[in-house]
Amino acid sequence: MSEPAEFLALALVKAAPLIFAALAGVLCERAGILNIALEGQLAAGAFVAVAAAAATGNALAGLAAGVLAGAVLGGVLGFAATRFGVDQIVAGTGLNLLAIGGAAFGLVVIFGQPGASPSVASLGAPGAHLLIATALACAFALHLVLYHTPWGLRVRACGENPRAVASAGLDPKSIRLLATTVGGALAGLGGVYLSLGELNLYSDGMSAGRGFIALAAVIFGRWTPLGATGAALAFGALSALQFILQRSGVPSELMQALPYLAALAALAGIAGRARAPRADGVPYVE
Amino acid sequence: MNVPGRAALELRAVRKVYPGNVCALDGVDIELVPGEIHALCGENGAGKTTLVEIAAGELRPTSGSVHAIGNVGLVHQHFELIGRLHVWENVVLGFEPRRGVRLDAEAARARVRALSQSYGLELDPDALVEDLPVGIAQRVELVRELARDPAVLIFDEPTAVLAPAEIASFFATVRALAARGAAVLIVTHKLGEIVAYAERATVLRAGKVVARFGKGQIELDAIARAMVGGEIPALAERVVTALGMGLVARDLEAGQGAHALRSASFEVRRGEILAIAGVEGNGQSVLADAIAGVVPSVGSLELEGTPLQGGARERIARGVRTIPGDRQREGLIVSWSLVENAVLGDQDRPPVRKGIAIDRVAAGRRAREIVERFDVRTTSIRTTVATLSGGNQQKLVVGRALAGAPRLLLAYQPTRGIDVGAAALVQSSLIAARNAGAAVLLISFELDEILALADRIAVIYRGMLSATMLRDAFDRGTIGALMAGAQRAS
Amino acid sequence: MRTAAIGGVVLLALAASAMELAGANPLLGFYALLRGALGGPHQIAETLVQTTSLLFPSLAVALAFRAGFFNIGAEGQLVIGGLLAGLLGARLHLPGIAGLPLVLSAGALGGALWGGIAGALRARFGGNEVVATLMLNVIAALLANYLVVGPLHSPGAVGPETAELAPSLWLPTIAPGTRLTVAMPLGLLVAAGVALLLSHTVFGYELRASGANPQAARRAGIDQQWIALAAMLLSGGIAGLGGATIVTGVLHRFNVALSPGYGFIAIAVALVGELDPLRVVFAAFAFGILQSGSLTMQALAHVPKDVVTVIEGLIILALSARRFAPSAGRLRADERTG
Repeated sequence: MSEPAEFLALALVKAAPLIFAALAGVLCERAGILNIALEGQLAAGAFVAVAAAAATGNALAGLAAGVLAGAVLGGVLGFAATRFGVDQIVAGTGLNLLAIGGAAFGLVVIFGQPGASPSVASLGAPGAHLLIATALACAFALHLVLYHTPWGLRVRACGENPRAVASAGLDPKSIRLLATTVGGALAGLGGVYLSLGELNLYSDGMSAGRGFIALAAVIFGRWTPLGATGAALAFGALSALQFILQRSGVPSELMQALPYLAALAALAGIAGRARAPRADGVPYVE
Repeated sequence: MNVPGRAALELRAVRKVYPGNVCALDGVDIELVPGEIHALCGENGAGKTTLVEIAAGELRPTSGSVHAIGNVGLVHQHFELIGRLHVWENVVLGFEPRRGVRLDAEAARARVRALSQSYGLELDPDALVEDLPVGIAQRVELVRELARDPAVLIFDEPTAVLAPAEIASFFATVRALAARGAAVLIVTHKLGEIVAYAERATVLRAGKVVARFGKGQIELDAIARAMVGGEIPALAERVVTALGMGLVARDLEAGQGAHALRSASFEVRRGEILAIAGVEGNGQSVLADAIAGVVPSVGSLELEGTPLQGGARERIARGVRTIPGDRQREGLIVSWSLVENAVLGDQDRPPVRKGIAIDRVAAGRRAREIVERFDVRTTSIRTTVATLSGGNQQKLVVGRALAGAPRLLLAYQPTRGIDVGAAALVQSSLIAARNAGAAVLLISFELDEILALADRIAVIYRGMLSATMLRDAFDRGTIGALMAGAQRAS
Repeated sequence: MRTAAIGGVVLLALAASAMELAGANPLLGFYALLRGALGGPHQIAETLVQTTSLLFPSLAVALAFRAGFFNIGAEGQLVIGGLLAGLLGARLHLPGIAGLPLVLSAGALGGALWGGIAGALRARFGGNEVVATLMLNVIAALLANYLVVGPLHSPGAVGPETAELAPSLWLPTIAPGTRLTVAMPLGLLVAAGVALLLSHTVFGYELRASGANPQAARRAGIDQQWIALAAMLLSGGIAGLGGATIVTGVLHRFNVALSPGYGFIAIAVALVGELDPLRVVFAAFAFGILQSGSLTMQALAHVPKDVVTVIEGLIILALSARRFAPSAGRLRADERTG
């Protein structure tokens, strides 16, 4: 492969999990739930996929289990946020600890070893490529859903003014719950990609802050699916660049920090004034 | 007499208890027949909003039954619209036209156009709701409800956002709706409108129905007595004051967008009340915030001959005190005690500040003083403000503003959402402040309140302030026309 | 009170079933946990060391939350504080009486700087502090790694850490033969200071007002931008000071792994302590028991120590139902009936 092609391929590889997580973030936030538990959902998806693949010997079963794990975690956040009106930031922090601690705990319980799991049946290169294509397809699909379907209109309305949604005879809580569950499933799929797509095992710290980069991508993408995907691709390209520049002596920490620094710059309004959904993170109580 | 079974909406023995054992409704019966215009009146806190939300199915009653023969539409007092969505999106939300799985935007736009033509309510389906003036936003909410083909239509304080001239055309629409067979319920505290437009009326007080008026029985005084449950308390006497130099504003501009203040020049002298009349959303809140130093402004502001500069802190130090429009969001910290709330705004100067510390004894003294002077009903000054009723919360806000002997008192809708007794006390306090030599700027959407209190009146329309008129020259018709945007004949 | 008791029982049951899942006897697990934390003077001392390390970031979180600022970044502030203390300490050859205050101040300054960035972002641009502090956590870790391995590598250090500090810069122990140092009384002093600040000073009043109702606070002449910045400088400073006490009192050097997530656990501690500085002290002790007993539990009862992280996550999740702003539900009922 030529060098530019190699770079592009690597960028896509690095971007895919970010795209899944960023789309999850967009969907949740557009519905009015600030999901800072993306990191935990990635980790849960990655770990559960490996555990299921090990148990069944089937990578597809792993994939399904990983997506389910993400959906469950997303659902828990949505349930807590809609039924109990919890503080979503605090709940998200708790879920992150829960998922990451739970995965570490599970490694010892299931595989009898801390740190990393043994190798399991993976999706292989074709599977990974398919997942990358799925990530891009999901971006367009989410765009269509949000802007061209009734449910998308309802989701966007929930993120702006859930009381108006209620007065239109709808239940904003169910809409938010469904959005966070689907979002969690997307993030879980991102986790599956990390453990069974790129690799064939789970190791502690595998999500490596990608859930937080995804939050940054959501802001950069101005809470739109295509925008967030673009930002995730850019961050993926940064990661790819890091591999290439390593040889030239640019410190890798600096490269790794770039997405986070870029997010700070976005918060400072360098990317223009971005408007979050008005009811983003605001509990809805009757 | 209504024929049984013909009711479009029927509420039986409806009771609603909120968490904390607050009983908002206690055994209410009410029924509406198709084609009638029915008024629901009552003081603030009587339970009207709770009742209509239960009738519209937005709130579940604690006990009792609600029956409707079709859809019940509710046009809220504070619109339930989504600013960043287009008009058509707001209208079809919840029953979107579809083409396959897709949202059929063309059909939705067509639906909005058809409805607005059919009822003579002009609307652009592709406008962003946040860009619309309040009167048009109300139209969006009405069209949204009409799109659901309601058998019952409920309006919660619909004329609060309309100029007097617009009110007539609003009621023409209402009559057309009733003529097409809808049962219309109008919640209002404006007695004149009830007499002019309603066929029947029901009066709520403290969560109970205290009076019903049938066709031809509606009489203003009887309704007023039923609402209050007694005589309306009298206001404080106005005394002749020596007018002094107060606030002078020249070419004041602030804010942006539909609710901006575009140009205001006026003077509020010490010892007088200048009232700004106008329909909500014409720049009043920006005007108040600009004077309070909460939003930046251009133009000149002087208080007693010295420029009024800096932020809220500096202006409070100059003796500018405010009664904000939303006591719970802007005026109080409801999770705090009365003591801590009593010094909010004065925390930075003696006697409350002592070195770097808060003098808690002085704060307690201030709280007791306000509670006694302004009749704030509370079990203790240490309880949280959340436990107070709205009227008592407002008395606390007013008492706090007056405790500091203000040079300029800025009162924004000072009697919004409180009962008649508390409102009379608040209004008397404004007069007392004026009598004591404060410059009082009153901003109100209630023309009656303005006529009762003002020494001079100016009218604000789309961010522009009219010339002022003196108390002797007050004329409802002229003020109403100015509120609707008429140019003043000189 | 009743919900707290029910929550506690549910949590115990969950923890027990997790141990069961790990093939361990839950009773033995709890016994080992408590024995590891409180079984003897040394264990108690070690628990107090953990308590102290948690106390600083927990106070930082509580203070920021009271100002309405969701500081999820105590972890990063603690790391930067420790980093600056370690970098300075490893190069400083001064007697303790001069050197220690200098090293501790460097830590506090580093934390304040790191918190101040988030504070400034919000004060100046209205940037969301949650995202900012999350990002700053990761940047702190990367920066620390880069500096101690790269340009500021101390000769003689192996791995991602600084050289050992001169013994004159070690915090004096208050229980001989243990790692318990004057950091603990210092932490209690800070707790008392934060309590006094919040309840008795004008600044504390303005800070609490800004957290409880920013709109009302603004109208009361309280400068929201200044409060956001000041609260975050202070909060970050306390977390950074905590990092410096770990460097000078526990590890005697900076290591990139100096915090096993104290800054995140601190959120649980602050919430359990209901954001009240004095109650946070007791909450920190409770979590100190979890932290310090977990290794014994792993060794004796074969329960993976990560179960503690799971428990902490569950506690945070359970406590997220606590309202930080005036209860919206309550307000609406009042609006209707008042």
